Amino acid sequence: MSTKSDEVVGTQGKEDLPEVYVDDLLMSIKYFTDENEVHLQLIDPETCVACDKPCVSFCPVGAYQVQEDGHVTIAFQSCIECGSCRVMCPHNNIEWKYPRGGFGVSYKFG
Amino acid sequence: MTSKQTQNGKIQFDVIVVGAGLAGSAAAAVTAQGGLSVALIERGQAPGAKNSFGGALYTHSLEEIYPDFWDRKPPLERPVTEAGFWFLSKDGLVNMTVRGGALGRQPADAYVALRAKFDLWWAEQAAQSGAFIIPKTTVTDFIRDSSGKIVGVDTDRAQGRIYAPVVIVCEGVNNLLTLKAGLSKSDLKPKAVALGVKQLIALPADTINARFGLPDNSHGLAVTVAGDVSMGLTGMGFVYTGNDCVSIGLGVTLEELAKAKIRPYALLQRYLNHPAIAPLVAGGRLMEYGAHLIPEGGWNDMPKLYTDGVMVAGDAATMVNALHWEGTNMAIIAGKEAAETAIKAHRRQDFSGKSLSEYRERLSKRFILKDLRQYRNLSRFLENHPTFMDVYPNFLNDALGMFFTGYGKTKKDLYGDIVRSLTRRRPLIKVVGDMLAFGKAVMGI
Repeated sequence: MSTKSDEVVGTQGKEDLPEVYVDDLLMSIKYFTDENEVHLQLIDPETCVACDKPCVSFCPVGAYQVQEDGHVTIAFQSCIECGSCRVMCPHNNIEWKYPRGGFGVSYKFG
Repeated sequence: MTSKQTQNGKIQFDVIVVGAGLAGSAAAAVTAQGGLSVALIERGQAPGAKNSFGGALYTHSLEEIYPDFWDRKPPLERPVTEAGFWFLSKDGLVNMTVRGGALGRQPADAYVALRAKFDLWWAEQAAQSGAFIIPKTTVTDFIRDSSGKIVGVDTDRAQGRIYAPVVIVCEGVNNLLTLKAGLSKSDLKPKAVALGVKQLIALPADTINARFGLPDNSHGLAVTVAGDVSMGLTGMGFVYTGNDCVSIGLGVTLEELAKAKIRPYALLQRYLNHPAIAPLVAGGRLMEYGAHLIPEGGWNDMPKLYTDGVMVAGDAATMVNALHWEGTNMAIIAGKEAAETAIKAHRRQDFSGKSLSEYRERLSKRFILKDLRQYRNLSRFLENHPTFMDVYPNFLNDALGMFFTGYGKTKKDLYGDIVRSLTRRRPLIKVVGDMLAFGKAVMGI
């Protein structure tokens, strides 16, 4: 029986991944942005510098960005509260909570 | 039936339900119908604001909560009159769907829905039954008495402490309260959650009918798409037709996505660009992009479903059957069974874990725990058999392609070519092993 180890997974056709501007997608999402409280923060910003930062690619709204100095910033206003970073951050370095009631993503259709 | 204020001004209900999704509003409705006061707390602007799925709802579960469901004019999209699988190769598609027969029943067994619209209506039904909805309010923690017993919830509102002897947690996939209640031993595992991303694309109803081969607006399609969707990652795509929109997306295991460093929206766009998919949505306008986690850990990752004063239902309790796209129906019925248990607990005036264990007994008699137990090894099976995402969908395309172009060839050669198109991808002995292993995973043996 096959296992992961004897197969190459997740690489075939990677060269044909299209360029997508995530901002074009975010324009379709409605948000109520909380100007007074940030609901996503890095626990220790220095931890991210040495990390290979998978959040930058897996976050479905591209909220995680790398700065020139290797630090990571979070565009919390784009967050759709899916929880991927909470679950997947390799260093558990994200202080993740829900926005205050009524704030954050507000799907029109879902 | 609203709250009872106790002498010291505490806001007190018989039952608190956290989260006005499918499970929560079902739980609140059944609780209220049973004559208890119930607070239904929702963090969104309105119920449904935080919710997204493929997806379709299943009639049996909706009618179980409201026998007069259809008289209530639910805001559903099209009935699912055609369902099945599409297997994609790089440039081809094998269509294996069924229509007519059982799929022609009225009402249909499944209906396409948009959650922001449906969940709002679903919560309104609970309010009509007597539930007290508290929107725009995030539950932050439980309130415990001096002995540590949970006696209510704290919220992010000023004076936002709300008391009840039973809390039904329907918080969704991000199981923050389930963890705080001590029901989960560990947090979600990245290999046991899928990240779903989708685009809702607007198209005129007539265009949808023409492109998907649907006779009119009262027919709809729901398909699972396997193969050249996930770039070999464990995952599948979907297509659902709404009234004037097409919901198209995919779900892949979060851990594999992260390891492969693939951007989910780029993977989705690649799928939308596929030569068999692109013509279906050409010229459509993006109505909404969305993403959501799907808890696929099932039986193995299921939290304890009850403890003193608390029960948990729906995504928070990993009630998802990924192969059959079931989850919404489990959530609704689990919400109902939790509510029935809460009603009995009030009659007994016993809110201990022992009293609330009736909830689990109820679920174990139904498809929910029976199916999740039977499918307990399926997620791991698919993870360990990437061939199902790649080899077999491609083989199906090759085999049927050769069969229907094999004119003038000796059929002996044709069948030889077909067999070789499989064996050059995977030795026959391994194919047999895959099929047996799949059978075992599905049968739960």
